[in-house]
Amino acid sequence: MNSPKSTALVLALPWGATLILFWLFPLVYSFVMGFTDYRLLVADYQWVGWSNYRELLLDPDFRAALKNTFVFVVGTIPVTTVVALGLALLVSQGFKGRGIFRAGFFLPSVTSMVVIALIFTNLYQRGGYVAMLAELVGLSPPEYGFLYDRGTALYSIMAMDVWMSVGYYMLIFLAGLKAIPDELYEAAEIAGAGKLRQFGAITLPLLRPVALFIVVINSIKSFQVFVEIFVMTKGKFDTATAVYFIYSEGLATHFRFGYASAAAYVLFVIIAVFSVVQFALLRRREALW
Amino acid sequence: MVKPEGKLRSGIRYLALALILLVMVFPLLWMFRVSLMDVGSSIGMGRLLSGSVTFRNYVDLLGAGNLGRALLNSVLVGASVTLGNILFCFMTGYTLARFRHIANRLLFVSVIVVLMIPAHIVIIPFYVLMLKAGLYDTYWALILPFLVNPIGIFLVKQYVESIPPSMEEAARMDGAGELRILLAVVMPLCRPALAVLAIQVFFTNWNSFLFPYILTTSDELRTLPVALALLQGHQAVDWQHLMAGSSIAVIPVLILFIVMQRQIVSGVTAGAIKQ
Repeated sequence: MNSPKSTALVLALPWGATLILFWLFPLVYSFVMGFTDYRLLVADYQWVGWSNYRELLLDPDFRAALKNTFVFVVGTIPVTTVVALGLALLVSQGFKGRGIFRAGFFLPSVTSMVVIALIFTNLYQRGGYVAMLAELVGLSPPEYGFLYDRGTALYSIMAMDVWMSVGYYMLIFLAGLKAIPDELYEAAEIAGAGKLRQFGAITLPLLRPVALFIVVINSIKSFQVFVEIFVMTKGKFDTATAVYFIYSEGLATHFRFGYASAAAYVLFVIIAVFSVVQFALLRRREALW
Repeated sequence: MVKPEGKLRSGIRYLALALILLVMVFPLLWMFRVSLMDVGSSIGMGRLLSGSVTFRNYVDLLGAGNLGRALLNSVLVGASVTLGNILFCFMTGYTLARFRHIANRLLFVSVIVVLMIPAHIVIIPFYVLMLKAGLYDTYWALILPFLVNPIGIFLVKQYVESIPPSMEEAARMDGAGELRILLAVVMPLCRPALAVLAIQVFFTNWNSFLFPYILTTSDELRTLPVALALLQGHQAVDWQHLMAGSSIAVIPVLILFIVMQRQIVSGVTAGAIKQ
């Protein structure tokens, strides 16, 4: 490895191999499988064309899974974003002990989802802490606990997710707040603008790219919600999500690899469309500046 | 200097912050508390500050239960994957920053594209691939696919670009080989970026569930999160043991969190600042 060119090639080898073996190949393989009736332990398979996709459209389980995924994404992301911004604003100014608050708010984000899900399974159970709090404010908790009720299970998991991730996005908002030049606020002060006006005219518009970035990465993550469903409800009580459906059809019950792969591609396309739209929004905003 | 109304205001702010802090850390405190309770005792609501304290549950899990093995697996897999990422992300990030021919540009595009691909959609082909390659239910399945990651490459590339190439050129003049330049000159300079990368990779790997779960089946190969999720499936298990197991998974993270908070925070914000 003496010429720079061969050095560059050797150095890029680990990533190149990972890219081909563990990203490109699975993506292509999965796409092809989606048009077959391939299953575990059945050696020969048939090409079935679009029939997996047609079946998916009519499968009530898949439709429910997509609906639950959308409820999850649409329900959590606005709340997470707003709460994260609020927390960032609360701890952005210099005051004693703010490091402790920042660390404390962020702590849940570095904890394992399995652990968090187990703790909340306990907190949400019949007679648990959350039920007690609900009774304290005059609400009657579900009879068998929050996770054993179709009306509350998914929303309880969503609330936990918001709780867990706000600290992470708070840190990103803090970086965005730090990047806003102080001179802008000073100029606004001189021009006689109040705090609220400054927030609306400087902070919010300048944070828009950061907020959109947060929404993009959070939606890519949230569309794939799985672990908390697996640990807390096993998809029961109307909580099965798209990845849970893929897992369940492909690797837990029927081992229908072809069918599950087709479902994965439907989810892939949905996520891709969402990301492209969000990026377009991001771009347009930048062009306006 | 401090006006009375300013004092009142900051008092209200601290009160609000303290309440939020309580909400954010309470579940973890509750986990630790339950983990220290006797199995027979009720885990009633009033028990946060009163009742028994025992380490029995931890001893049970690490001894007779196979959580000791899971802990060992998590450490082993986490360390291997972290070391792999330090070396391989560094190699790739460096070459992307320094050599700008067409192949490298394509590689950089691939890094960005993969960054956006939702990994969970490939669980089926991953499972089949590992099965056919004979790697299913081995340590290789837990390590090999995760040895280099796009975010890490991105981090290193950004960092190397901020280092002037004069030191490498000087070393090259002195007749040092490329490998020597890479490992003895550039790598030490990248230590801050590599620390950020290492902690991020380790945490992600330590906490990951779906891939380790679908790629293994024997108890001897389960990592901590997988072992915990499966422990919960057992009918006989009680909350005291479950929470002790959870604490075993959290304590190492907590220690690293306290020691390396700066690196963790810059890992989170590295991607955002680029925006």
